[in-house]
Amino acid sequence: MEIRASDVRAVLGGSQILRGVDLRAERGELVGVIGPNGSGKSTLLKCIYRVLKPTGGAVWLDGRALSEYSYKASARRVAVVAQHNYYNFDFSVQDVVMMGRAPHKRTLDRDNAQDRQMAARALETVGMADFARRSFATLSGGEQQRVILARALAQDTPCLILDEPTNHLDIKFQLQLMDIVKGLDRTVIAAIHDLNIAAMYCDRLYAVREGRVVASGRPEEVLTPELIRTVYEVEAQVLRDERGGLRIFYHPGSHGS
Amino acid sequence: MERRRWGGDAAWFPVCLALVGALVLSLLLAVSFGTVSIPLGQVYEVILEELRALLPGGTAPTGGSVRDVVWLIRLPRLILAVGVGMGLSVCGAVMQAIVKNPLADPYVLGVSSGAYLGASLAMLLGLGGFLGGSAMGVLGCAGALLVSLGVMALANLGGRSNAVKLLLAGTALSAVCAGFSNFFIFLLNDDHAATAVVQWSMGSLAAADWGSNAVIVAVAVLGSLFFWSQYRNLNLMLLGDDCAVTLGADLHRWRLIYLTAAALMVGFAVYKAGLIGFVGLLIPHVVRMLFGTDHKKLIPISALLGAIFLVWADVLCRVILPGNELPIGVLTALVGAPVFVYLMARKKYGFGGGD
Repeated sequence: MEIRASDVRAVLGGSQILRGVDLRAERGELVGVIGPNGSGKSTLLKCIYRVLKPTGGAVWLDGRALSEYSYKASARRVAVVAQHNYYNFDFSVQDVVMMGRAPHKRTLDRDNAQDRQMAARALETVGMADFARRSFATLSGGEQQRVILARALAQDTPCLILDEPTNHLDIKFQLQLMDIVKGLDRTVIAAIHDLNIAAMYCDRLYAVREGRVVASGRPEEVLTPELIRTVYEVEAQVLRDERGGLRIFYHPGSHGS
Repeated sequence: MERRRWGGDAAWFPVCLALVGALVLSLLLAVSFGTVSIPLGQVYEVILEELRALLPGGTAPTGGSVRDVVWLIRLPRLILAVGVGMGLSVCGAVMQAIVKNPLADPYVLGVSSGAYLGASLAMLLGLGGFLGGSAMGVLGCAGALLVSLGVMALANLGGRSNAVKLLLAGTALSAVCAGFSNFFIFLLNDDHAATAVVQWSMGSLAAADWGSNAVIVAVAVLGSLFFWSQYRNLNLMLLGDDCAVTLGADLHRWRLIYLTAAALMVGFAVYKAGLIGFVGLLIPHVVRMLFGTDHKKLIPISALLGAIFLVWADVLCRVILPGNELPIGVLTALVGAPVFVYLMARKKYGFGGGD
């Protein structure tokens, strides 16, 4: 499945957050969106997963406007792992993952063996199979986020959106989560804070600044010292490691002030 | 920590069946309690006779004082207790989901103060004169419904409603209604009327009769079945509207539908029973503690447990003070609050906070 955003604009609280953004994710691609806090990358993703309505432009799923899909229909195509997942009530891990099956259900449908199987398989994929009966609230942040990923997998969608899913997680969980996502055969759009992680995992990157895309392309095309200076206002060095991967080093005390 | 719960996915259905059995058994036992002592055999004789009379071709039951006590006084109260307990418990669970707050109860969104204002008006201004003896009930019910609708309208001003706006609107309208009630009570300075309103607000099942029972129990059962069928949406509500959208449900419209249905259920309960606190708060939490938050289990088990709880609460009310009857709202608060505090103190149950 292909996702396309064309000329997406969004106004939040009276200020223009997105000023016409174009983005495309082809089938099976892992596309990263990078940019500093407040650049609009999260707003852009929210427009794609329908929590925000763009004030201009449109989002297209396989050539059909997102607004033409029912919420259920779009939730059968796009699943989301967002950054904030605090619940005021105490669900079991199993309950949370089973909610991923909701868009496939009509009101009086019961959960069947296939649903339970998909939930179990999703938990296995994220390495949380032993936690099914645990209370979600008692898990660590990293474990909770893997359960949310399992819910998104149980949703069985061709596309996945990660809205800064690794925020506040330690490095092991960040890598774990991205490894799982990379191993899926799905179209993925991810907002990513850590440029090294973006460079390691993404097929293509979009760099966003002040509501506009300022660069896009393969990581080695986008992640240059010049671009990092323009977008993040820090000095950085971009090197290759022995396996050809990009490594970004920041220079202390170099932030523009 | 492994959370021990009574039954995972499979056990809840047998639990429901067992609770249905327990409810029937409770009714049969509870009907034998009362100020007048009647031999158990006679009690069941009367009930069987009445049930036979309901069947086609049945003979009219013989009258008598025993029949009056059992069939016209005790049993209607107990059936009303079933309807009210069921309605309040289910609405409590639903309200907690709607406002995403474990502190919510059926009365949280201004329902109780709306009912109180309606009852005060009926009593103090004689507004409900043409409604006869049930004036406080009718206007109380109307007040509850009107305030619920008002809260919804208020919460939708200037953009879509959400849990916080609903709570704030409910608090504001509650204060207004309480202010007006007190204002009228103060202004009219009628001790008798004021006492009657206060007593009404403490709840009682004494006004039960078969005619209104049929409606109240039907509303409670149908409402519970409706909310049971909505368990997925209720689960999603606890995740928040944004998350629910990504899982395929636009909950804004549903929230208004649920609020209306819940207000109707509570309104009917208020109409015959006044305000009975703590049931709607306590029962859902007890069920959550034992069976988890999943509304597929929470709704039916709360409905049955709430019914059983109120049946026994009513029995206690009648026997605890010799020669007098304790208002049921007083009893549920006196019994409910310590249980609630105990739950809080146990720490294992985080009321959702989890930590």
